[in-house]
Amino acid sequence: MTIDAVYLLQLTLNGITLGLLYALIAVGLSLIFGVMEIINFAHGELLMLGAFAMAFALPVTGLLYWPAMAAAVLCTMVAGFVVYETLLVRLKTDEFERSILITLGLSIVLIHVMQYFFTATPRIIDTQYGFDGVDIGSIRITWTRVIGAVAALVAFAGLYLILRFTQFGRAMRAIAQNREAALMVGIRPRVVARNAVVLAAGLCGLAGAAIAPIQLVTPYMGQFLIFKAFALVIIGGLGNIPGAVIAAIALGLIENWIGGFFTIAWQDASVFVIMIVVLFLRPDGLFKRGGMRVG
Amino acid sequence: MTTAPALELVTVTAGYGDNPIVREFSARLAPGSITTLIGGNGAGKSTLLRAIYGTNRMFGGQIVFQGETIERLPPWERLKRGIGFVPQGRCNFPAMSVAENLKMGCYTLPAAKHAVAIDRVMASFPMLRAKAKIDAGNLSGGEQQILEMAMVLLVEPSLLLLDEPSLGLSPKMQGDVFATVQRIAALGVTVLIVEQNVRGALLISDRALVMEQGRLFMEGPAKEVRTDPRIRQAYLGGNIQQTAA
Repeated sequence: MTIDAVYLLQLTLNGITLGLLYALIAVGLSLIFGVMEIINFAHGELLMLGAFAMAFALPVTGLLYWPAMAAAVLCTMVAGFVVYETLLVRLKTDEFERSILITLGLSIVLIHVMQYFFTATPRIIDTQYGFDGVDIGSIRITWTRVIGAVAALVAFAGLYLILRFTQFGRAMRAIAQNREAALMVGIRPRVVARNAVVLAAGLCGLAGAAIAPIQLVTPYMGQFLIFKAFALVIIGGLGNIPGAVIAAIALGLIENWIGGFFTIAWQDASVFVIMIVVLFLRPDGLFKRGGMRVG
Repeated sequence: MTTAPALELVTVTAGYGDNPIVREFSARLAPGSITTLIGGNGAGKSTLLRAIYGTNRMFGGQIVFQGETIERLPPWERLKRGIGFVPQGRCNFPAMSVAENLKMGCYTLPAAKHAVAIDRVMASFPMLRAKAKIDAGNLSGGEQQILEMAMVLLVEPSLLLLDEPSLGLSPKMQGDVFATVQRIAALGVTVLIVEQNVRGALLISDRALVMEQGRLFMEGPAKEVRTDPRIRQAYLGGNIQQTAA
């Protein structure tokens, strides 16, 4: 097999954009885990809702990308709010098993409700940018990918600023680091948990909206992403946000490289092989664990 | 007690899940006093402090703070009313800097008051200013204890509940912590303290409450309690006068 440098660079760029979108999902999962100590197995479905919201908003906005993306983010944030207030709010801190059943159940219900109303037929989503792109030498990258990556980077910067410099965000880190100390300073855990779920849902909505024009939109699109995102959260060091971002970009790259040179079946398997190897070598993940570290 | 009590506990029964640990406990704390709560392991001392702050389950009784019954209020509402609680063990945010920990201590204060409050506690505890950028988890045990008290003092509570503040500290650091408690009380703050170093705590206290199996066993001025033969036998194991000297 000969490796063409241009082809490799193309795969690398695609990998980075895909990795950044994975990172949005993993970071949201990490946020919810940090604050509530639960794994939200319906997280992938929030992404799917974001993608569908994008798909339905685009015709309304006359294919304008940004307003449709804003609508998709808002839509998933509302969905996150409803999921928290109707289901997750009832969970107590020591009910991890119940949280798995509730979120997994929700995931299955959401998939099938969406399939019932909108069928399982994959949708191709068109935007104002169509398949236009930017050419760098003989490499081509579509605007939808560039914008998706930039939107993810802006979201990370925003999230960093929120977690680092606002009481709203610091309270999330505080609960993740020491629940009792959080009560000591007067933090209301449920309010912070709700904020974290809504924020994480917004990140998922952004990822869904950005992925919609890049991949096919189906009710099942989020199903495998949750397992990948979960793997990333563990590889990145449970609760370490920059760790999850780095792991996600690495995953996007590896997936694209493997997918570019081998059959597609290897792509998904590779993530989990890597996760198993990493956890064998470093049981706590690649980076320092816990505390919802932001730097 | 002639003045209205800062805190009044009326037949408080509290615990966790379905298990009451503290049973029908009644006591009154005078404003600005230091009271030590003494008792063996599992007597319910920490459970009582948690019940006063609202982080466990109340089965019955009343908690009256500054004339208001508060037993149905969540912890953050009690904090807003002036009850500060420093739980046992390390109770800070280890992956945040000292400055960020203090910011979190201001959580229930309006943003405009944060800087003034942080300046005030940093003036009281200069170590916090010197180590403002260091992660709390990298401070020594004694420094972490001071930080935790400072985090609660930011909101200027009128009642401070301290659970084992000197646990795991060197004798020198224990002395510093007790001196700090005395300084806090001198400002008019009522202090209720649970301490494994009963001797040290009694020496700085005005009164003592002795708890056995969740119930009030004895109460009185700290001086009397620390010379009571039963207390010396059970909790002091030696001559208190010698230690004081």
